[in-house]
Amino acid sequence: MKKKSNHLKAALLAVMGDEKRQNITVPLLEVLFGLLAGAVIFLILGKNPLQAFNAFLQGCGISAKANYAGGKGMFTDFMGYLDNWTPMLFAALSVAVAFKAGLFNIGVSGQMLMAGFTAMVTVGYSPLPAIVAKPLVIIIGIVVGALVGALIGYLKYRFNINEVVSSIMLNYIFQYVLSFFIFTFFINPLTRQSQAISDASRLTLQNVMIAGYKTVIPLGFVLAVIAVAVMHYLIHHTKFGYELKAVGLNPKASKYAGINVRRNILFAMMLSGALAGLAGVTYYLGYLGSIQPRVLSTVGFDSIAISLLGNSNPIGIVFASFLITVITKGSTYMSSSIGVDQQIGSVITGLMLLFAACGAYVRHRLRISRMELEEQKKEEKKEGNEKKEGQS
Amino acid sequence: MNSIIIDGMSFTLPLFIIAVGGIYSERSGVTNLALEGFLGAGGFFGALFVAFTSSWFAASSQAPMYFAIAISMLGGALYAMLHAVLCIHFKANQVISGVVVNIIAMALTDFLTSQINAQVFGASSDRFVLSVSNRVTIPVLSSIPVLGAFFTDVYPYEFIIIVVAIAAWYLLYKTTFGMRLRACGDNPHAVDAAGADVAKIRYIAIAISGALSGLGGICFAYSIYSSYSASIYTGYGYLAIAALIFGNWKILPTFWACVLFGFARSGGYKIVQVLGMPSTYSDLIMILPYVLTLLLLIFFSKNNQAPRALGDIYDKGKR
Amino acid sequence: MKPIIELRHITKRFPGIVANDDVSLTIQKGEIFALLGENGAGKSTLMSILFGMYEPDEGEIFIRGEKVRITSPSHATKLNIGMVHQHFKLVENFTVTENIVLGMEPQKRIAGIFPTVDIKGTNQKIAELSKRYGLEVEPTAKIEDLSVSIQQRVEILKMLYREAEIMIFDEPTAMLTPQEIESLLQVIRNLRDAGKTIILITHKLEEIKQVADRCAVLCRGKLVSECDVATTSTHDMAYMMVGREVSEEMEKEPVSPGEEVLRIENLTVKNSAGFPVVKDVSFSIHEGEIFAVAGVSGNGQEELADAIAGMVKAAGGKIYLAGQDITQMPIRKRNESGVAYIPADRHATGMVMDFTLSENLLLKNYYKPPYCVHGWLKRDRFDKKSSELIEKYDIRCGQGCDTIVRSMSGGNQQKAIIAREIDQNAKVILFVQPTRGLDIGAIENIHRQILEQRSKGKAILLISLELEEVMKLADTIGVIYSGELLKTAPAESLTVNQVGNYMMGVTT
Repeated sequence: MKKKSNHLKAALLAVMGDEKRQNITVPLLEVLFGLLAGAVIFLILGKNPLQAFNAFLQGCGISAKANYAGGKGMFTDFMGYLDNWTPMLFAALSVAVAFKAGLFNIGVSGQMLMAGFTAMVTVGYSPLPAIVAKPLVIIIGIVVGALVGALIGYLKYRFNINEVVSSIMLNYIFQYVLSFFIFTFFINPLTRQSQAISDASRLTLQNVMIAGYKTVIPLGFVLAVIAVAVMHYLIHHTKFGYELKAVGLNPKASKYAGINVRRNILFAMMLSGALAGLAGVTYYLGYLGSIQPRVLSTVGFDSIAISLLGNSNPIGIVFASFLITVITKGSTYMSSSIGVDQQIGSVITGLMLLFAACGAYVRHRLRISRMELEEQKKEEKKEGNEKKEGQS
Repeated sequence: MNSIIIDGMSFTLPLFIIAVGGIYSERSGVTNLALEGFLGAGGFFGALFVAFTSSWFAASSQAPMYFAIAISMLGGALYAMLHAVLCIHFKANQVISGVVVNIIAMALTDFLTSQINAQVFGASSDRFVLSVSNRVTIPVLSSIPVLGAFFTDVYPYEFIIIVVAIAAWYLLYKTTFGMRLRACGDNPHAVDAAGADVAKIRYIAIAISGALSGLGGICFAYSIYSSYSASIYTGYGYLAIAALIFGNWKILPTFWACVLFGFARSGGYKIVQVLGMPSTYSDLIMILPYVLTLLLLIFFSKNNQAPRALGDIYDKGKR
Repeated sequence: MKPIIELRHITKRFPGIVANDDVSLTIQKGEIFALLGENGAGKSTLMSILFGMYEPDEGEIFIRGEKVRITSPSHATKLNIGMVHQHFKLVENFTVTENIVLGMEPQKRIAGIFPTVDIKGTNQKIAELSKRYGLEVEPTAKIEDLSVSIQQRVEILKMLYREAEIMIFDEPTAMLTPQEIESLLQVIRNLRDAGKTIILITHKLEEIKQVADRCAVLCRGKLVSECDVATTSTHDMAYMMVGREVSEEMEKEPVSPGEEVLRIENLTVKNSAGFPVVKDVSFSIHEGEIFAVAGVSGNGQEELADAIAGMVKAAGGKIYLAGQDITQMPIRKRNESGVAYIPADRHATGMVMDFTLSENLLLKNYYKPPYCVHGWLKRDRFDKKSSELIEKYDIRCGQGCDTIVRSMSGGNQQKAIIAREIDQNAKVILFVQPTRGLDIGAIENIHRQILEQRSKGKAILLISLELEEVMKLADTIGVIYSGELLKTAPAESLTVNQVGNYMMGVTT
């Protein structure tokens, strides 16, 4: 019996034992568990999980729906999906950069809101032409996000205030203050949202006809892809990345090495904030086109799940955010076609997050079992050798 | 002035008992950012009970509230086990675990509330309606000038919280269990060597944390919203954390921090009312506790001494 | 008479290592039994098994002739076994009494109903107990305010309070001055005379000679020998412990000191609470000189080194490096001007444990060309440099440059830090407890490196808690007590006992 479980263990280790490969296998396992748990919920509700998951994909233009309204098609859905994916990518990169520096930026939603609001009232309601307005929106997003990030970083290094607490407080402050301004000055009484921004300032082109399909073109997506590449090189191949990781892993040793720890914490939070700001402008001035007062976007929380699943690695984040966006974006269509509340999307994301939080433990256990197995092999070998010697 | 005190205390006490929950967890050495999730999940169980049993009781009956309080505490303790298992068994990063536990609580309770409303009650609603709690005015004491307000229009839950808080104080500072719990937060190895089970103590501490948060959560649901919905997640769990940090992880000073929050909030609303400002201005008042938190943290967080072993993953083998 | 303890064929394995390999021992009631061995020989593991912290994979334990399975420390306590660990298991913000009663709290009832821990009533009992065994402590004092040797008394009192008959001491003298050691050994003798059985884990031969009746030697998890202390020479014991001849004396070639390199003038350092922990310290170190700071742990040694390296700010005074004032210089500038630093805690300070070996070996040079050009890291040059150092300093690592440092042994981690720091070719090298926790072979190796740097004309500051090490290597000794440099003198002019006296603040 013991033998058998050993074989199982050996098989598991053969697949997952290699520490470099674990960066892929462990998150895959986490996703798998999350989807399985989601499938169980669908079963309990009496729905076919495969049909449900397919509906998620259909909602994102990755799987074909049975029929489409005139002028719309899979391509339309897919472009809409990209439009939603863009802020997710930025937001997840934001969380990841902070993670690398040992910081937990849970305030992405607030930073997004602040950046989006600032860009909206300065550029979104101005008559500026597109050629000026669009770059200006992006710059404002970066600057405002970076400033908020800098504030959190400053509170951390100057007053030793836990960044989780301070960024949550800022989230609520932004949420209420900005909703006050929106309600007082910019409300559209019909939609109960802020008034729509000008088309010139919008980062997603609306109602474009391509190949007979009416679709959106998220300009920000190109920027997001560039950001992924830049962050990848920055983290893995530059002095800045080396210092960032050192500070995140061991601030004391970093100080000892002559690294300016405080400046790195500040930089990391600024960079994280800037990325959150980009998420904000691509979300509010790209995907949505207006701001709903009193509500924080769930993108901030989803991005934590993405970053954990993706190991805070920019490349990993591309895959993880692809998946999580399918769940959040696809949940609307799933809800209408399957009839399950779309909140289940958040539940599945949450479950994946739960498994992701156990990721470190899984790796730890794998390392121990591998060492045990190697020990065992060594001993068996030794015994085998002794036997041979005995025979000869 | 009276309404400032009355509203102030009705906010202060639930916040305080949640903070005491946080103290239990953190003094045992487990960082607890999950109070927000605990209070929401605990409140959910209580509200669920009320929703299912509303037909058993007369419309004016106050009994459901007491049941809801008990069940919220049980439910909070149960849900808190998620954080405990992640932190103690799976040795997860306690900060990450706390945030994850919060996110799951929000997603799950929101989903379940609307699902249950739809599937069981055939209503499309994202909330469970709770009855309006009655209020108690204590004769004689309430006629004392100024201070009388502390005994006027009191929610019954306030008495429950005060009793529970005194019990919590006694348990933490006077009993064997409390002494061992505090030792766990300073040097778990000492507790282990003394023959007590660190993991067990921490599990219980987190369960208490969940129970107290659940109590606070359902009280907020009754007093602020008269219903249970996802809007219960307004960061009060984090306010409680800030309060216990000012309180230096001690119960009595934490109470004063909560009083400060409660009175700042009720005072703010009073000002809006007195000045006759439009209702949108209440959004500005809403930020008062949060701003106050940041300011107080700026002035006080440097001098405070967190429990020594707070946030460390305890590994028996390590010495 | 039945032996009080009998261990039969104890084997304990950890992933990657066999800590105890078929160890059998018998210990008689009322004797002082020493367990001798190098670091990592398995002494502590064996005693942790006896104390119920681990269960053995194989083997049996008999206590007072009865076979037992000791499953937990509390179970061991019930069997009247107590242990003073090397790292004290004390709750720092608790009082002495609270620490002693933890786990066996005396109860009383408030108003006859509510059970509560009776601390006040116990204070008196503790005071009496401490007097009876010559272990004076203040029952109401908080642990964080007590010195190491007093904390040790609290640990002993903890055992007495639990009525331990078998007392295990794990390296009890490691942090004490010679005089404190003397009084501890006397306490141990008193305990034996009171009928207790004492097990002493140590790697110090003289102590065994002084107090122990019998001794067992462990080497790499195996029991090498059991012998009567009176009839065995220290030389033989040392041989058994290491498994080879130990070169007792190391050649220390004469070096004539050159120019002054490091000069400290009236240095004062404050801790985070604002109390001065280094007070008005002045000294200087020359080329080819080893200046050793002796002292009991926690008397400002680490803060002194940190101040020189720039990890903490000087509250007063000046630090000169080769005539240049570096008091206000940032850490990186100091590194570049010629300060190398081997810190006391390699895990917390010297290394980023989750970085690879090559990233760690370049922790102080990663930003300089040729390793970094215009902000871009050149990984191949990292690896080339690291391979050189790995080879030159014989750093053993599983996967070469890419080995994650956390997975390396303590000795090899320390080798890597020393390799990195020596390779800086600095003017002054600060060694703080460079051999802590290492086995004899590794210690010898490090001592040789230190002497080699001395021969090369480096100025060396050695801070060590091991008086033996200080006496062996130092050219000049400075004794630090409570943040003050009480005595500075050439090494040959001081005896061990004199240094020990200064370490306790005795100046007459």
